[in-house]
Amino acid sequence: MNALPGLPILLPLGAALLALLFPRPSPARRVGAGLVLFGLLAFSVWLLGKVMNEGPLVLSIGGWAVPYGIVLVADTLAAIMLCLSSLTAFVCTLFGFAESPMEAEHPLRVPLLLLLVAGIHLSFLTGDLFTLFISFEIFLLASYALMTLQMVATRSRRALPYVTINLFGSTLLLCTCAFAYGLFGTLNFSEIAVQSSAMVGDFRLDILALMFLLVFGIKAGLFPLYYWLPISYPALPTPVAAFFAGMLTKVGVYVLIRVFGTVLPPDLGWVHGLLAWVAGLTMVIGVLGAVAQSRIRSILSYHIVSQVGYMALAVGLFSSLAFAAAIFYVIHHIVVKAALFLVGGVVLRVHGTDRLETRGGLWAAAPVLSILFLLQALSLAGIPPLSGFWGKFLIIQEGLAQGRWTLVVLSLVASILTLVSMLKIWLGAFWSKQPEGVPLRLTPSSRRMTAAVGLLVAVSLGIGLGANRFFSIAEHAAKETLDRTAYVESVRAVNLVLEGGMQP
Amino acid sequence: MAQFDTAVLVAILGAGAIYLCLSRRFLRMLLGFLLLSNAGNLVVLSMSGSPTGKRAATLRNGTEPMMAVDPLPQALILTAIVIGFSVAAYLTVLLYRIYVDSGTATTPGLERAGSSDGLDDGVIR
Repeated sequence: MNALPGLPILLPLGAALLALLFPRPSPARRVGAGLVLFGLLAFSVWLLGKVMNEGPLVLSIGGWAVPYGIVLVADTLAAIMLCLSSLTAFVCTLFGFAESPMEAEHPLRVPLLLLLVAGIHLSFLTGDLFTLFISFEIFLLASYALMTLQMVATRSRRALPYVTINLFGSTLLLCTCAFAYGLFGTLNFSEIAVQSSAMVGDFRLDILALMFLLVFGIKAGLFPLYYWLPISYPALPTPVAAFFAGMLTKVGVYVLIRVFGTVLPPDLGWVHGLLAWVAGLTMVIGVLGAVAQSRIRSILSYHIVSQVGYMALAVGLFSSLAFAAAIFYVIHHIVVKAALFLVGGVVLRVHGTDRLETRGGLWAAAPVLSILFLLQALSLAGIPPLSGFWGKFLIIQEGLAQGRWTLVVLSLVASILTLVSMLKIWLGAFWSKQPEGVPLRLTPSSRRMTAAVGLLVAVSLGIGLGANRFFSIAEHAAKETLDRTAYVESVRAVNLVLEGGMQP
Repeated sequence: MAQFDTAVLVAILGAGAIYLCLSRRFLRMLLGFLLLSNAGNLVVLSMSGSPTGKRAATLRNGTEPMMAVDPLPQALILTAIVIGFSVAAYLTVLLYRIYVDSGTATTPGLERAGSSDGLDDGVIR
């Protein structure tokens, strides 16, 4: 047995508590938070390499035998997600430091962000359903607090839909846990995987799968349960919004991949079909919402909805290649989406508003920022050779191979409309002329913010240009996720170690 | 075997909770979510099985195994209650904050209060 899977949770948790002990923002605190998040990123990348070579690492907390205790399982998919969330948290924190001077920084933002990261990491690593519920509650509470931390009076009501729908979703998740326990007598993913295979065809299994779809569809922002997202995200402070935009809905997508790939048997064809159709509608309706908006943050928020549709579509297509495409798309999307929100934050600072009709002129004044935006916008729309192209290409290829013509057409339409709304931002904020007498506030702070965005853009370019390497990682993760017997075996192998004493 | 009475109770609690959650007044919404979390907890509790119990997994020396209900859902429910309580505390404060900020405690009032979308406020500090 190996204690390593506990570290990505304990490190941010400990750092958050430590940051609470030193409540005053200071250079030392900033350096400490940056170092912790960078260390987390380095550890996650190292863990990914180790897990890919040696197979999943399993930690049984408290030394309980497998179906009885809580297990943490670090497999390739979980390690990929750990890398992405540490990277996003690191860059967003740096951006936050660059954005606000020390005295304007809210003392609780860093500890809450670290708590959020700890909760998200627990949800990636957990090997049982109830711990998944707990981890969702931990990171949701942290996200509620971050959401209302610095909200001005005219915006506080925008948090209400987010909080209420998640309260409803949490209760539903609790009920789902209860039903799973009633059905299988266990909450452990690997045991559920074993027992559910024997229950194929039982309608109770279908109902359970539908409940999973509903609960994690709410978290991921699938149609028709996405309305909370474009209301609440634009009201957040930029670094928080970028982290939420990158990670939170993707936790829902991750759980969909995990639950439908590993936990539930693959013979739930009609639920997968339903997921694919819901995803198709999500893509188109999300992007139509984006086209209708005239603020950068609102456009980008609707794009999250639309892009989640692509990932859910790949999960719904349900094949090894489709899962690899979904995982690749998650890798691409988290980086690009966070970078776009950060660019939006810089524009907001420079212009004082992110309304597109009234301002412009950034192309002449800030060419680096413009190029960064252009790269990410074209990547989101799916222009080769940027990372978004490969994600969409793989999904559409798989859709064509399965003969799902309507869904393929829907995704192409959504892709074109994405390009249209990205062009709208480009023309509005960057290309058009800045009206006379309205100054652009280009400060050293905005240059530092641009540099932070540059980090993410470099990663995103790397994903696009090294797509082969990243796709082989995604393919490995997809194979591992869909190989349910291997998952069960590697989790049960903990018992052998426990019986034979405590040697690793 | 079948816990028909519990199911009826959950249905009543759930229906009342949804009715209250969909109400326009903040106070009713808050009560609705409190009821909803209790309905959820009751679903978990009902998974303990029949209150008359079945044979427990523990053995006492030489005697018959005693009858007991499954204790795990009760452990789960304790966690769920604590979480539900903290979230309810947060929701109470949020609703109060919205009431203070916008001067209304109903959802139609919020729509009337918000002529601008507020997204440009407080950008430049």
